[in-house]
Amino acid sequence: MLKFALRRILGMIPVLLLISIVVFTLAKLMPGDSLSGEIDPTNTDPQYIEEMREKLGYNDPIHIQYIRWISDFVQGEFGTSSRYKMPVIDVIAERLPNTLLLGVAALIITYILAFFMGMYSGRKPYTVGDHVISGGNYFALAIPSFVAAIVAIYVFSFQLGWFPSGGSSEVGLMEGTFAYYMSRLHHVLLPALVLGAFSTASYTQFLRNDVIENSRKDFVRTARAKGTKESTIYNKHILRNSIIPLVTFFGFDLAALIGGAIITETIFTYPGIGSLFLNSVSQRDYTVLMSLTMLLSTLTLVGNLIADILYGIVDPRIRLD
Amino acid sequence: METATNTSLKANIKPRKSLSPWAIARKKFVKNKLAMVSLIFLIFVAIISFLAPFITTADVTKVDIGKMNLSPSSEHWLGTDNAGRDVFTRLLYGGRISLTVGVACTILIVTFGTFIGSVAGYFGGKIDNMLMRFTDFVLNFPFIVFVIVINTILIGKVSGVWVLIGVISLLSWGGVARIVRSKVLAEKENEYILAAQSIGCSSAKIIVKHLLPNVFSTIIVQATLLFAGMIVAETGLSFLGFGIPQDVPSWGNMLSVANQPDVLQNKTWIWIPPALAITLTILSINFIGEGLKDALNPKSNR
Amino acid sequence: MKNKHKTGVTKMKKSLLSVISLLLVMSLFLAACGGNDSKSGEEKESAEKTTEPQQGGKVTYALGGEFQGLLEWAFYEEASDSEIIQFFNESLIQTDDNLNYIPGIASWETEDNQHYTFTFKEGVKWHNGEELTVNDWVFALETIAHPDYTGPRYVNVKDIVGAPEFHDGKAESISGIKVIDDYNIEITFDKARVNNLENLWTYPMPEKHFEGVAVKDMASSPQVRQNPVGLGPFKVKNIVQGESVEMERFDDYYQGKPNLDTVVVKVIDAALTSGVLQSGEVDVMSVHASNYEQVAALDNVNLEKVLGLSYSYIGFKFGHWDAEKEQNVMDNEKFQNLQLRQALVHALNREEWIKGFFNGLGEVVDTPVPSAHWIAADKEDLTHYEYDPEKAKTLLDEAGYKDVDGDGFREDPNGEQFSIQFAHYAGSNPTFEPRAKYIVQAWNEVGIKTEFAKGALIDGTLYYDMLEKDDKDMEVHFGTWGTGTDPDPSGLWGRDAIWNFTRWTDDKNDQLLEDALDVSIVGSDQEKRKELYVEWQQLWNEQLPIIPIVEYYDLWGMNKRVQGVHVSAPGLSDFHKWYVTDGK
Repeated sequence: MLKFALRRILGMIPVLLLISIVVFTLAKLMPGDSLSGEIDPTNTDPQYIEEMREKLGYNDPIHIQYIRWISDFVQGEFGTSSRYKMPVIDVIAERLPNTLLLGVAALIITYILAFFMGMYSGRKPYTVGDHVISGGNYFALAIPSFVAAIVAIYVFSFQLGWFPSGGSSEVGLMEGTFAYYMSRLHHVLLPALVLGAFSTASYTQFLRNDVIENSRKDFVRTARAKGTKESTIYNKHILRNSIIPLVTFFGFDLAALIGGAIITETIFTYPGIGSLFLNSVSQRDYTVLMSLTMLLSTLTLVGNLIADILYGIVDPRIRLD
Repeated sequence: METATNTSLKANIKPRKSLSPWAIARKKFVKNKLAMVSLIFLIFVAIISFLAPFITTADVTKVDIGKMNLSPSSEHWLGTDNAGRDVFTRLLYGGRISLTVGVACTILIVTFGTFIGSVAGYFGGKIDNMLMRFTDFVLNFPFIVFVIVINTILIGKVSGVWVLIGVISLLSWGGVARIVRSKVLAEKENEYILAAQSIGCSSAKIIVKHLLPNVFSTIIVQATLLFAGMIVAETGLSFLGFGIPQDVPSWGNMLSVANQPDVLQNKTWIWIPPALAITLTILSINFIGEGLKDALNPKSNR
Repeated sequence: MKNKHKTGVTKMKKSLLSVISLLLVMSLFLAACGGNDSKSGEEKESAEKTTEPQQGGKVTYALGGEFQGLLEWAFYEEASDSEIIQFFNESLIQTDDNLNYIPGIASWETEDNQHYTFTFKEGVKWHNGEELTVNDWVFALETIAHPDYTGPRYVNVKDIVGAPEFHDGKAESISGIKVIDDYNIEITFDKARVNNLENLWTYPMPEKHFEGVAVKDMASSPQVRQNPVGLGPFKVKNIVQGESVEMERFDDYYQGKPNLDTVVVKVIDAALTSGVLQSGEVDVMSVHASNYEQVAALDNVNLEKVLGLSYSYIGFKFGHWDAEKEQNVMDNEKFQNLQLRQALVHALNREEWIKGFFNGLGEVVDTPVPSAHWIAADKEDLTHYEYDPEKAKTLLDEAGYKDVDGDGFREDPNGEQFSIQFAHYAGSNPTFEPRAKYIVQAWNEVGIKTEFAKGALIDGTLYYDMLEKDDKDMEVHFGTWGTGTDPDPSGLWGRDAIWNFTRWTDDKNDQLLEDALDVSIVGSDQEKRKELYVEWQQLWNEQLPIIPIVEYYDLWGMNKRVQGVHVSAPGLSDFHKWYVTDGK
């Protein structure tokens, strides 16, 4: 088990290295020199520009530049953002908590909703309620997240006015106060809902189908024959069996959250690392772009690793080699 | 006693023609009402999209200040957008683009992914290892970065639509490869494969003639779901501004104006049609996919 | 806003494209219901007036996008930061609504436009309690001229005698600066120029506040980023990076105790403008043309409209920039024919363009000088080129551009294929594409084959760089500039201006620009100077090296409870006079 994890982690390194090379190359290929972001924009003296080019290492051969970047990177030196003029680490650190909040909120909402809807549908299949839930799920699975975000803003923010349409919190509230935290939650709810919509739908469907299948199994029949209460059967026995495979999805979810956050944060102008990422592309903030790409790729890999491990734990038939 | 019973028996019992698995699948599929309706809907959308030039004569790209942001009327069924262009026409042309990108990507991905997956699964060992490593790399690669960056680099040099198709396909074949590989791994243990090998059939032939047809059903289902995914990818990218440029209508970039609250609230005819088009198309593809999955699964009993 | 920008003009770089989008997100809404608002456009003060300014209260001002956080005049780069700094720090010299210099904290004297004596008011306090002296100004000048300085303002110090030596590390101080006493100082420039004062950096820095901070560390220091100190009516209380800045009243402000208790600057997505103005979450916000209708409909908001300092134009490429000689060289024959250029102007319906893409919130302009500026020529002195496609066609025929091969497009006078590659920048503004398309269409309609350079709108972050480098495909380009206090157009349109993307050179152009700066010709006679600039504008109006299209209105949405705000082309001002009628 541990050996497996370790081996996988070691296996991640060459992949990450390769990704870093590709990202670096792409950043270099992109039109628009990052040099202009780092030097005095009003000084157009070609001599000055050449000087700075030499000084900042742009004339060095590509592989030297790469090595310099990657060795700085693994030591935690992410460079300076050409847009914010601050160390990249600080820029990311400012926004990371927002995305974390968003992600955790999305996960919690997903699990809670999926649990209730899935159990309900599973217990009472083919009823009106079940059909309504299933119908909604199909819809949620089909609608792309950006469409969902737009519609959500339209309905819940503009028409109904229940939620704010952007930002992370009400400004002017003192940090640390109750009102501040409440405002943070209020602002994160709608984006989290949209972010988790797809997962919620798939989990609900999965849970439902699994519950229905389990309810036909023998052990349930036995339990019923013994006179166990219906609710106990469902909430204890079946649930325990059904929850387990659900757990394996967690890893994939993590990876999906990252991708989904990029779009959701942008549409909701929620200041997290997802919107930071897109902005760094349009603004040609290469240092941030490269750092974030590495970060996101690492997270994706970790997510996949967790998924595989959990899968192995859950299903004893799978022998992790 | 006559042999009446015998003859009547004989006359009444017609030899039952046994159906091929494909026929069985087809019958099951047809019985699935939801899938059939979806299929018809999809075909309908495809047809009117591709027949767009014959259905409407409005110029999709001409900017007409005098006609900006008109609400739906008899002349403009879905009104006009922010440049005076007829929304209905753009919806149809947009369908062309979005569907074409979807189909093209799907074909490319399925072809390439199947190739990699079957080779890896069949040959195993070092080849498998190498190919799977490669696949892993592609799977883990940050999709959005790549697409955006490549698009930015190549814009203006190569026509936008094909760049997009190429880039999306380049990064998305990983899933198919994996699935095909695991199927092939399972299939190749079968005796008929061993038999073919023992009579000296070339590997290529074995893969193409024997393995793939049996894996085909999986591939088909995957392809369908992939199709939906590709449409989401294209529309999403166009929406963010990294896909099809505004001049060429696509469902995605028609939606991008919805970012402005004024359009969102007051000019709903501009963004609701493409939003609906995307959702309904994907919905139907999903139903078709599920229908296919059920139909091709010998164990399901609908 | 009296911010100093490079040689008086502001370059639209990627960061300032955000200024443009801040000011001018274009909409395509037909102003069918009338794009003209009912309030007078020239009104400078808020419509309603209550009798006495009240004390107390808070005003929330919205920024349309994230701010960088370089909250010190010497280091700021983006307009969003300057919008914050303006509340808590100011210049020694003020400008009036027409961008003329008037004395503020400092007054000045000069006999020869080369030696200047400045006198500071006494008793002006910094927020940290220290009194302002000329040493703070010297500190600022020396910081900017310092070899380790990381900001963009050296160009505003380099003309002082001894500055280049100091900048190269060869001198310990700037020889041209002479401190007489705490309130008097003499500055000598390397030569006499009419605009020496306009070019000079007039923002002091609190010397005590920066004690112990090396110049190279200043930009990222907490003195700049977290607790900046200024001279203005409000002082910074709390900063949430990228989101908000909270400021409270500075009782010792030299012009008197400000009325408001608090000013909060908040970053609000421009898309939410009408929503936040309506709810009262924000009191003052600049409004894009695309949100105009929605905001105009709000009954708790006054919408102020004033002609601003930015304009858009179409430029022809006449040559290239010679980096060695540092000059523009006109060696491209393609657009030399004046009638061709005239035809292209007549083919364009600029009025409709403005109406369609800006909700009517701009005025057609025939010179590269915004009307708010004191050097702007009167409309009577210029030719206005009407929209007249027939005339365009006639001009083209006369010039020899006829369709000889019957393909529907005109060939050039030599019978060769002729087409125009038209460049426009891309951005998140959805009106960019249709409005560029509109121009392309208009020219196609008079028979000149026109296409998008590079096939599509060009990436906004690269656009101006490519123009600067004279990219071959960008034959005709669309551009937007915002001007600053210094009226001198040489920085944008002169022979040695790298930012003169047209690369058009002309002897009369050179002469007029030079003369207007020549002390021996104009001395300090502003009327004379204006005459020369009017002549200059007439030259450009005649020769049409560019087609000026539109100058933009700045729109300000202000909650009716906010009063005392002075609105003018440079922006909002008189912050200490702002007050709220409800005391909240």
